[in-house]
Amino acid sequence: MIKLDKVVKSYKIDEETTFYALKESSVEIKDKEFVSIIGPSGSGKSTLMHLIGLLDKPSQGEIIVQGRKISGLNDDEISSLRNEFIGFVFQQFNLIPKLTVLENILLPSFYARKKLEYDPKEKALGLIKRFGLQGKEKSYPNKISGGQQQRVAILRALIMEPKMILADEPTGNLDSKTGTEIMKLLKTLNEEEKITIAIVTHEADIAKYGKRIINVKDGRVV
Amino acid sequence: MTYFFFIIKSALEDFRRSKMQTFLTSLGILIGVFAVVTLTAMGLGLKKYISDQFDALGTNTLFVAPGKLLESRGMGASSLLGNRFDLKDLNSLKRVRSVKSITPLSSKSGTAKGTKKSEFSTIFFSSDAFFDISGFEIDKGRFFDKRDVDKRTKVLIAGPKIAEKLFGSINEALDKKVSIDNVSFTIIGVIKSKGGGGFGGPDYDSYFFGPYTTGFIFDPDKKFIRFAMKTDENINIATVKEEVKNAMLKRYKDDEFSIVEPTEILSVVNGIFGILNLVLVAIASISLLVGGIGIMNIMYVTVSDKTKEVGIRRAIGARKNDILFQFIVEAVALSILGGALGLGLAYIGILFVQPFFPAYMDVTSVTLALGVSSAIGIIFGVLPARKAANLEPVEAIRYE
Repeated sequence: MIKLDKVVKSYKIDEETTFYALKESSVEIKDKEFVSIIGPSGSGKSTLMHLIGLLDKPSQGEIIVQGRKISGLNDDEISSLRNEFIGFVFQQFNLIPKLTVLENILLPSFYARKKLEYDPKEKALGLIKRFGLQGKEKSYPNKISGGQQQRVAILRALIMEPKMILADEPTGNLDSKTGTEIMKLLKTLNEEEKITIAIVTHEADIAKYGKRIINVKDGRVV
Repeated sequence: MTYFFFIIKSALEDFRRSKMQTFLTSLGILIGVFAVVTLTAMGLGLKKYISDQFDALGTNTLFVAPGKLLESRGMGASSLLGNRFDLKDLNSLKRVRSVKSITPLSSKSGTAKGTKKSEFSTIFFSSDAFFDISGFEIDKGRFFDKRDVDKRTKVLIAGPKIAEKLFGSINEALDKKVSIDNVSFTIIGVIKSKGGGGFGGPDYDSYFFGPYTTGFIFDPDKKFIRFAMKTDENINIATVKEEVKNAMLKRYKDDEFSIVEPTEILSVVNGIFGILNLVLVAIASISLLVGGIGIMNIMYVTVSDKTKEVGIRRAIGARKNDILFQFIVEAVALSILGGALGLGLAYIGILFVQPFFPAYMDVTSVTLALGVSSAIGIIFGVLPARKAANLEPVEAIRYE
């Protein structure tokens, strides 16, 4: 469902020097897969994740999402793809502090271009109930625990019913018990909801939740 | 639509979280709008006040005043210091064919003693034609008539304000005696309120009106400060003026009197206030410009502060235009906030000065104030908003 074909990400430092954040790599993530991308910091796994998440464009090569070449899409179309196709979960949760839990979860639906077949607010309230966040709807992110914040972030990723959840070090800011809970949650989403999950991590313990592991080292997929 | 309210709500939440910064930023707009609205309200009020004084006189009226009224020497000074007219002038003007009715005017100020209070007041002495020319209406009692003028009866018509002050109420004042500088008069009528007053010009509600012949008690020379006349509407006003002028020229030199239509005075007044308003708007524009730059500056800071937020929003699907819109709305909200506060403050200020100054706020200045402040928000918000919209998602989300 998403394919990175011989992508390279490089930055020109000066006239003669070019820094390669990611050397020529090809990666394919299939529908309903649970993939872990593992590598030490500076390995290029974050760059890889940004490319998969359509947050960045490759310097060379092509990204193909469900048969569509990204290079042929404009900024608005790519934004809509991010909105409908991918749900992001970040290490620092990345909730918007001035918005309540419910508003944070609803935020992607405000940017939706397509007409939703469900009422996002109803859906959000249902998710909140299902994932044990009742009573926190009107709380601001700084008033709830880290584990709860990460759950809010996951619900925000789910509100648009995405095909894929892309999680960047989702347990990095959590204690191991809460981290395990979050990973189990992602596993459930993969198994029960058939949502494709890709996680980026440097911890082998976390990576082993994936059914397939992609190793990134020195800017190259190995 | 819900998205729009959502943006506004989150902008307000931002303001709530940094009240002081928000207030200081909108202060520039606040002061600018306050200045524009208050100053134009004062200008408008003064203009309306002056217009109202002359509007009451209707279209077919003329004044004859001493000196040159509408020329560089100015209105006030010449009419006070110039030569004054007498009965001979009145009779010669009465003979002018196109003048339908005429009244001489003179005045006397002094302490008026009523049953309840004593108050400094002024009597306007005129003929019975004055009420018709000035468009007065009687509330209680009657106007004085030709017989009162012929017989020099000591009767007065009172303005409602002074009647109430001296006697407690309008009804109480009727048929009572009032003494002014030790001359006793009977109040035979009270006029309906004419409104206005308070700023130098005549406040008819606080005046007495008496027959001009009776007024000679105070002025043995029997002089008048001016004539007011109603002209025949079938005759061109220019022709009437010419006839009146010829009558006056028999005794006076051309520059010793002036013949004025209320509309002429109005156009002079309008001209003066037009220029005044232009100057006020120009001054206020500078403060609005400074206010706008303040908003632009703080919006740039806000964009930096919110780089991460922009990154998050972009990651979850916001398009460049969504971000652009969000920041423009925020800038507009900020400047409208300033505008609304300035407007509120101006309103309070105007209420405060109204008792002694005819300030007058109209819909135009309110609309203008809010329109201009939103325009400032848009104009000065666009550049910072564009900066935010053009942030690279991947750079923005990594920003700490």
